[in-house]
Amino acid sequence: MERRTFIQGLAALGVAGALPLSLSRAFAADIANPVSVDTLPKLKGSLTLYLGRGEGGLYENVLQAIQKKNPDLDLAIRRGPTAALANTIVAEAKAGVKRADLFWAVDSGAIGLVTDAGLAKPMPSDLSAQLQPQFRYDEWAPVTGRIRTLPFNTERLTKEQIPTSIMEIADSDLSIGWAPAYASFQSFVTAMRILEGDDKTAKWLKKVQKRSKTYAGELGVVMGVERGEVDIGFANHYYTLRLKSGKPDAKLDLAFTEQDAGCLVNASGILSLSDDPLATNFMRYLLSVEVQSYLASEAYEIPLVNGIKQPDGLPKLTSISPPKIDLTQLADLRPTIDLMRSSGVL
Amino acid sequence: MKILLKPAKTLSATFLLASAIFAQPALANGPIGEHVNHLQANLKTYSEDVEWMVSKVDTLVSDYEKKGAKAVNTDDLIEYWESVKFHSAIETNYVPVYASIWQGLYGIKMAIDNKKPASEVRLQQQAMNNALWQGLGAVKLAAQFQQKGLLKSVKATATKEMTQSATIDEIKHKLDRVVAKYAERLSDEATSIVHDTYLHLFEGVEGTLIEQDANLVEVLEKDFNVTLPQAISGNKTVNQVREVVVDMQTKLTRAQTLIEKAEKSRKDVF
Repeated sequence: MERRTFIQGLAALGVAGALPLSLSRAFAADIANPVSVDTLPKLKGSLTLYLGRGEGGLYENVLQAIQKKNPDLDLAIRRGPTAALANTIVAEAKAGVKRADLFWAVDSGAIGLVTDAGLAKPMPSDLSAQLQPQFRYDEWAPVTGRIRTLPFNTERLTKEQIPTSIMEIADSDLSIGWAPAYASFQSFVTAMRILEGDDKTAKWLKKVQKRSKTYAGELGVVMGVERGEVDIGFANHYYTLRLKSGKPDAKLDLAFTEQDAGCLVNASGILSLSDDPLATNFMRYLLSVEVQSYLASEAYEIPLVNGIKQPDGLPKLTSISPPKIDLTQLADLRPTIDLMRSSGVL
Repeated sequence: MKILLKPAKTLSATFLLASAIFAQPALANGPIGEHVNHLQANLKTYSEDVEWMVSKVDTLVSDYEKKGAKAVNTDDLIEYWESVKFHSAIETNYVPVYASIWQGLYGIKMAIDNKKPASEVRLQQQAMNNALWQGLGAVKLAAQFQQKGLLKSVKATATKEMTQSATIDEIKHKLDRVVAKYAERLSDEATSIVHDTYLHLFEGVEGTLIEQDANLVEVLEKDFNVTLPQAISGNKTVNQVREVVVDMQTKLTRAQTLIEKAEKSRKDVF
């Protein structure tokens, strides 16, 4: 493939400038075709999976389907809040105990806690190659993505009236709904800290706070926007898609900022803590065409394997320009929470 | 919830107990002994605990009746209750009755502390006694289920599968615990359970639910984030907080029906 053609290919995916790998390595990477579960090796043996709660029963449905397809797989599952499980894995390792073979986390920050501790095993290159280039990491595999969005009330605004810079929104006259205690919002602020620095982020928080209405969760934010309580909100994309699915006449649409934390693409992910090829083969099932398509259509999550259809209602990724950031850098929430507290937001 | 104050002898109450027992928590707060995993072997102890509680409280109330408030220390009521094994047996098996016991205890305590007539104290005592006996019935039933292997051990980690429908059961159970902790005069803990239940459990199902009934999600959002926290912070009576919870549980039952319907029509993964 010609270098220029490949760069154009990346641009078409909306990913140029968003590469966690070195550019030379990314340019050298090939995008493998998605794989069907029918071509994957049968899973035989015992595995222990630590599963971070997040998507209700949909991840459970995936696990049940994998078990049903592999009757010789003895899969033990420990469930809990993602951050707590990540801390448990690190604590167990310090104590010389290894109970988990795999960790499926709902956010990449928790993944970072484990990879930073040096506990994750390297990803096989053929598995990484199935992922879109900006989502390839050495020690973990993003499974599905979610993008930060600006849901807005279509009776009060048009898309063109919304700034395309997250920093400019703080200086606009828009009323804003937010959920500062929400983990996804805190990951977004962490991304802003990394991209813009603590001083700018603190000023941004203080400015936005003056015109914001606080909600407990981000579905609440989206519903508040739809009711017209605020002009816009900060929320992950799937809340809006789901509300519109249940309420097709909802006065709601999505806007996106450009190349800043406001359109961060975060991801759920899986890593292996075991050298057993069985663990790696289990991961292959999560990146299969069937699982990626299922999570896209049923959970409205963004498939990260090449060539899988996106959830209905989401603009093509080619029209979105997420920032360049290593998602595992979002692991350290402590400085973010400290900053939010000192800014009076929490 | 008047049924909670009746003896647990009717068929309907038994059915209610059975369904509540199967919704047993994976983890309960407080120092819970291993005895809760051997209910049958401890039934005699639990019966003696209840008889002892009833007797000790009656003595205290009689002293109040004869000698007045200065003759009794109402903090003893709490100590009596916290000292018996039966406490954790009922807490892990039937939280609504656990809440009623606390409500009765504090009903007696507040009536005495406020120097109410003895007849009023006796009414509270009767309510607490009813709750204790009903609780004993619930624990006996739970022991039968446990003997048949139908009751899972109380564990410190969540290992059970959490389908969306099971998550709704867990939410309802957590709301029962909110009432229990409020009745126990632990308002901060009750509020914390509301907050955690919303963020860690309800959040996981509301995505599916909003596709089925957006208005129901909206109402439950308000219940979780406004109505119930305000009832707790506004020092409402235990019955008023329970009414909010029961109303939420009714809505959650409807949510469960919708979610199960959605799950049935959901496409297969493979």
